[in-house]
Amino acid sequence: MTRVAKPEHTPEQEQVSPEALAAFGRYAGPATLILSSLADGAKHGYALTKDIEAFAGVRLAPGTLYEALSRLEGQGLIEALESNDRRRPYQLTAVGAAALRAHLDAQRHVADLGLRRLARSWGVV
Amino acid sequence: MSEIRQDLERRSSRLLRWYPKDWRSRYGDEFAELLVAEMADRPRSWRRSADVAWSGLLARLTSAGLTDHAIEPGDQVRASLASLWCALGVFLIFGVAMWSQLTIGWRWSPPDTRSTYAAMLLMSGAMLLFCVLALMAAIPIAGCILARVGRGESRGLLRPLLLLLVGAVFLTIGSRHFGNGWPGTGGHPWAQQGLVPGGVAAFMWASTLSVTSYWAHPHALAAFPTAELAWMAASPVAIVCEMVGAAKIVRRADLSRRVLRYEASLARVAAFGMVAFLVGSCSWVIDGHSGPNTLFHTGAIDVAGLVLMSVALAVAERALRRARHGGLALMQR
Repeated sequence: MTRVAKPEHTPEQEQVSPEALAAFGRYAGPATLILSSLADGAKHGYALTKDIEAFAGVRLAPGTLYEALSRLEGQGLIEALESNDRRRPYQLTAVGAAALRAHLDAQRHVADLGLRRLARSWGVV
Repeated sequence: MSEIRQDLERRSSRLLRWYPKDWRSRYGDEFAELLVAEMADRPRSWRRSADVAWSGLLARLTSAGLTDHAIEPGDQVRASLASLWCALGVFLIFGVAMWSQLTIGWRWSPPDTRSTYAAMLLMSGAMLLFCVLALMAAIPIAGCILARVGRGESRGLLRPLLLLLVGAVFLTIGSRHFGNGWPGTGGHPWAQQGLVPGGVAAFMWASTLSVTSYWAHPHALAAFPTAELAWMAASPVAIVCEMVGAAKIVRRADLSRRVLRYEASLARVAAFGMVAFLVGSCSWVIDGHSGPNTLFHTGAIDVAGLVLMSVALAVAERALRRARHGGLALMQR
């Protein structure tokens, strides 16, 4: 049986708390969408907008997108790649991946709890 | 390049003007590309324009060190201190206008209410504090600048220094000239009366001559001598030159961590001074007593001044908090 190697766990990743994105205030939502979009590969601004619109049904306005991108870059959660044209792609960093993981885990916990309570009290499955 | 593409690029570069220069140099090209693509999808959208305008203003506030957006701690302290200086400058324009009115009034007759008396003491004490702090803040910055000039690294400093110098010289000469026209500066029996020397009171009054409700009464303004009108229009420009020059020097002087921490501690004291000054001016305006011969009369311009001073204090407080945040990050390094 082939064993899948676990990704290397760096000390930086261990320091990331679920609150890492909550510190983004009103940009926590766009930041989560951007990190989720970048989780499957590098993208530039317009590709990010289209991808997020496709999977979340939300079209991030250009100003909001770049405000969140600059904050994410400042925190080291994403990094810009070199590009030959004017469109610069961004990719997730190891710290960013850990922050996204921690944030989504916390959200899943809330979602699971809410669904369980709905099922118990309201019979909604 | 097609005509449509050219039009879209023109519109995107217009929208980019909302952002500060340093942001444009980092993100400008890619952001313009995104805007062009967005405009090709949706040619007109007021929401998009509003979003870009709002984000651009936020980026400007970030560049001024006033938002929670994390930037390099040294840059954070420098930007926040420069913003605090600008806020203090705006505060003082209106504050000095009020204070000089009271000091000049007192030279004719002392106030007859406790609140006006207390206001004058508080405001004069705060003004003295600001002068001492300005001197204490300027000495190490001047030292850094001289050291840089000595090493031949004055690039980026010459223009702000020139701006500061031209503004200061213009303001000093003009204030001296128009202040000397006021009779309370000497040779009169009332010249020895009051908390502040007549020359200082007249100089301060002349330097803020532009802060007046006469702007709302053009007919009365038309009766003013042309030279005085020109001074009222030009002196705010000189004040802005001084503020911008000093703010740019603080940002570009490459101050050491130690000096930055020292300047941040002085800024904290300056904020206390602003609060004391504002309390004093509020007590005078709220009291509303005109005093003997209506020398301490308050008007709409004073209420407007109080509002603007409160806004400036709020900005200064925000800048101070961010400077402290950056200072703590510097100490942890």
